[in-house]
Amino acid sequence: MMTAVNPTFKFIAILVPGVLLSFVYDVFTPLAYLTFLIVVTFTLSDISFKKWIRLFAPFALFALGFGWTAALYTNEAFSGGTVLFEFWVMKLTVGGLQTGLSITFRSLCFFAMSLLFIFTTDTTKFMMSLIHQCKVPPKIAYGIIAGYRFLPVFQHELQILRKAHQIRGMRRLKGIKGKLTQFQRYSIPLLANGIRKAERVAIAMESKGFTGNRERTYYHRMTVIKRDWLFLAMMVGVLFIVALLSYQLGYLKIFSKKM
Amino acid sequence: MIKNWKLKEIVMLSIISVVAGVLYMAFSLLGYGIRNVLTPFGLAPFGFEVIFGLWLIGSIIAAYVIRKPGAALLVGLISAAVEILSGSPGGAKIMLAGLVQGAGVELPFALTKWKNYQKRTLVLAAMSGAVFSFIWQLFAGGNLALAPWLLVSMLVVRLIASSLLGGLLGKWVSDKLAQTGVLGGYALGKEQKKKREDEAI
Repeated sequence: MMTAVNPTFKFIAILVPGVLLSFVYDVFTPLAYLTFLIVVTFTLSDISFKKWIRLFAPFALFALGFGWTAALYTNEAFSGGTVLFEFWVMKLTVGGLQTGLSITFRSLCFFAMSLLFIFTTDTTKFMMSLIHQCKVPPKIAYGIIAGYRFLPVFQHELQILRKAHQIRGMRRLKGIKGKLTQFQRYSIPLLANGIRKAERVAIAMESKGFTGNRERTYYHRMTVIKRDWLFLAMMVGVLFIVALLSYQLGYLKIFSKKM
Repeated sequence: MIKNWKLKEIVMLSIISVVAGVLYMAFSLLGYGIRNVLTPFGLAPFGFEVIFGLWLIGSIIAAYVIRKPGAALLVGLISAAVEILSGSPGGAKIMLAGLVQGAGVELPFALTKWKNYQKRTLVLAAMSGAVFSFIWQLFAGGNLALAPWLLVSMLVVRLIASSLLGGLLGKWVSDKLAQTGVLGGYALGKEQKKKREDEAI
């Protein structure tokens, strides 16, 4: 079902809760919203659990590290409470730990929302929907689609470069200066080739009559139906319900202020 | 804004953004790596600051090569979209971060009415992008919770790193590219060609 939601609406539906969550600093709200996101992921879309967890699990470790840093370096407004341990400039308090956990769950929410978006969205349809719903000029949208298609080409080209270097007996260079030369040897030809290709694609598009004019015809026309609005309302609405619940329970914290 | 852009400039911009978007994700891994090395010394928050300029380099290169209003801003936005589409952990909020950084880089160019592309303007643009994103991260990244002394030293490190890795490296890459001759159809290539011709006379 998620695959059919209009991509622009899907994007707004993960952007708005993402921004709103940034203001919340308690543990309960992001954790509850994360639970909701996981439920949505496995009920409303057909993402396979295996594929999902393979990306989610390593990121959870990153997020923990991120929260750990935040927990250790909080300022007075956010730390406070009993000191759990102290070591050189590091000091862990109960308040700090809570902030850290909140930031961890928050970044997990962001990641869960990204996965929800990427796994269910087709890039071309997203661009088409940007043209139709967000009034992005077709010139830019098609330009981006053309550019995005080059991504796999770059990988292929990097392999060719590597082999060309090997055949000519170019060795890996040591030291900082060597690394810089190495960087130049790969990055400049790679980019130069990319730019040459970009120019050719642009000429090909123009020679086939692409003017970037808005009054053109489309093979895919993205539309908005009631379901898209419903999805948006659900994603934002649940966040407010969760926040309200957390307020009722006395947990809600916006920045350092307890509500 | 887009009316006087040529299609090849847009595709070029898009390629820079796509490459930048993928690189930005790789830089994040690098940042995490540096952070893990720094953690035992209690300097973990500096992991990303010491390489900060890298996240501005796409905007700087595009602005310097294409020299049209909005180039830096658009690269900020599109590279963020590419990051999201290729599965960045930051989520949709990256789009806003890209917008903020792009706007920061664009500002100094806008102040010179998109006429001045000297080295110092590029460095200034990188620094402006760094400050913009620093303010953004105070709120969005939860940095507001950090201690003031830490924030100030983070900002100083970020400014230095941005001018080197954003401004100067961006200019160096663009100049090297112009030397290969592929930029002949763009503002930077044209400028360099004119310079060579003037020298020949």
